[in-house]
Amino acid sequence: MTEGLNFDYTVFIPEFLLLGLAAAIVALDLAYPAIRKQWLAYIAGCGLLATAGVSLAWIDVETNFADLVVVDNYLTYFRVFFMVIAAVVAFASADLVAQRLKHPGEYYGLIIVSTVGAIGMAGARELMTAYLSLELLSFSLYILVSYAKFDRRSNEAGMKYILLGAFSSAMFLYGMSLIYGITGTTYYSGIAAALGERATDFEWALLMGLVLMIAGIGFKIAAVPFHMWTPDAYEGAPVAVTAYLATTSKAAGFAFVLPLFSNAFQVVHDDWSWMLAGMAAATMILGNVVALQQRNIKRLMAYSSIGQVGYLLMGVAALSHASASALVLHLTGYMVSNLALFVVIIAWVHMNDSEEIADFRGMRERAPLLAGVLAGALFSLAGLPLFAGFVTKFILFQAATDDGYLWLAAIGVTTSVISLYYYLQVMREAFVSAPAEGAGPLPVPLLMRGLAVAMMLGVFYVGLYPQQLFDAIDNATRFLFV
Amino acid sequence: MEAVWADIPLEHFLVLSGMLFCIGVYGVLSRRNAILVLMSVELMLNAVSINMVAFAVYTAPTLFIGIIFTVFIIAIAAAEVGLALGVVLRVFRNRGTANVDEVSALKW
Repeated sequence: MTEGLNFDYTVFIPEFLLLGLAAAIVALDLAYPAIRKQWLAYIAGCGLLATAGVSLAWIDVETNFADLVVVDNYLTYFRVFFMVIAAVVAFASADLVAQRLKHPGEYYGLIIVSTVGAIGMAGARELMTAYLSLELLSFSLYILVSYAKFDRRSNEAGMKYILLGAFSSAMFLYGMSLIYGITGTTYYSGIAAALGERATDFEWALLMGLVLMIAGIGFKIAAVPFHMWTPDAYEGAPVAVTAYLATTSKAAGFAFVLPLFSNAFQVVHDDWSWMLAGMAAATMILGNVVALQQRNIKRLMAYSSIGQVGYLLMGVAALSHASASALVLHLTGYMVSNLALFVVIIAWVHMNDSEEIADFRGMRERAPLLAGVLAGALFSLAGLPLFAGFVTKFILFQAATDDGYLWLAAIGVTTSVISLYYYLQVMREAFVSAPAEGAGPLPVPLLMRGLAVAMMLGVFYVGLYPQQLFDAIDNATRFLFV
Repeated sequence: MEAVWADIPLEHFLVLSGMLFCIGVYGVLSRRNAILVLMSVELMLNAVSINMVAFAVYTAPTLFIGIIFTVFIIAIAAAEVGLALGVVLRVFRNRGTANVDEVSALKW
């Protein structure tokens, strides 16, 4: 059984480092309770960035661990991707966590552990490994969402998230058991081989398995009709956790779906692509239309993220090398824009103590730099030229069109225009409305200003020089289609 | 032992697990109390376990993939319930109810 398998534990060095970092931060908080809590965030952030640097050593390495986890450029890309996101969120939540939440050590520990889960989802080539990674991520997020223990909204959000998350895992698992029954294996490559030569009387079981697995995944990435938990979890969670939910949990879902469908289910592409295409259309329309009537910034971001999932699902439905690269590119551009926006939201909500969009009024006078970054990030999310969102969306729609999904691209373009309306409403409050009586300039911490500017530079980098990034991504997704 | 397995076709196990799964889904959708919702999710997970073990025994008795998977599912389900109960307890302490439809400060 075990001959010929590669049991080289050194491929997991970045993950071991992360787990060590998480343990060290929790221990530090325990051992020195008097430490300034911001330092925990700085240590977590710097540790994550350093580990991201370490994981660069695996560029162009092709190896695996017992065929369970494959280490290639795809995994390396997502390792860096998730660690950078976690680092930004850790830095951005420094003040918020220190002043509003208890147990900051565990908070950063959980963020780092969930990053390990997200990386595992990108690297797994076997269902059990993928499922365990997914639950590692989900469990950390369940705790983070309900982190404000005495806040009723956080409790409620946590409860809804856990109940629906557990329900969706169960559906996902049942689908997985049916696929296992048909193919007799849980390795992606084995599933593909078995499906390639299957007998026709297994059709129904295959369809049920796919439906249930897609439903389970749909819950995790918040695609319509499995999106009900999203607005509640986003609104109830502490705002820094909302930022983390909107970035890592979503990106991890897609990082997991791409290898799963390209390596295991590509042979039966016709059996599932219509489901994903339908979900993509419904998600784009519902997410963007319902976002129009939101008054709370976190809820608005929840529906905006649902809309964005619709665009991304388009790339999964088409699933070719080109569309996978376009998907990862849009994912990257979207995450950078989202982080830029969330840095502003975290700073503003923390200092103003209000999550209503109406209370963004006067941001231009009170915090001009934040207002500028807010404008750039919103334009990027809506997909205006110069900013990341335009190029990445353009390439994604083009890839989908090339693979025969012109109608999806048309819905995508239309809903992008709709999305401009609600993004501009936030802008109007920030730029046109006058500040409340007696509200002076806000002292935005240097760290938040630096983060906002860094993320904004990222938005411009993706928007103006996408070629370099696209080549790197293309080189990474190539390994999924060999 | 062999003879017993030969008399019971695989379908029996699959029908049992399918029924358990459907009961679980019905429970999740119809129960108001969070604890009962959790119990229904447990039923769904048990259905998965039955499926996995049955498939493992009938299709590949020498490979233990399905059985190992079941061990993992049991462990994860336990962790999940522990976590969920903690949060439900918190909700109950803060609001005096654990009914899903009464906990509605957040509306969509």
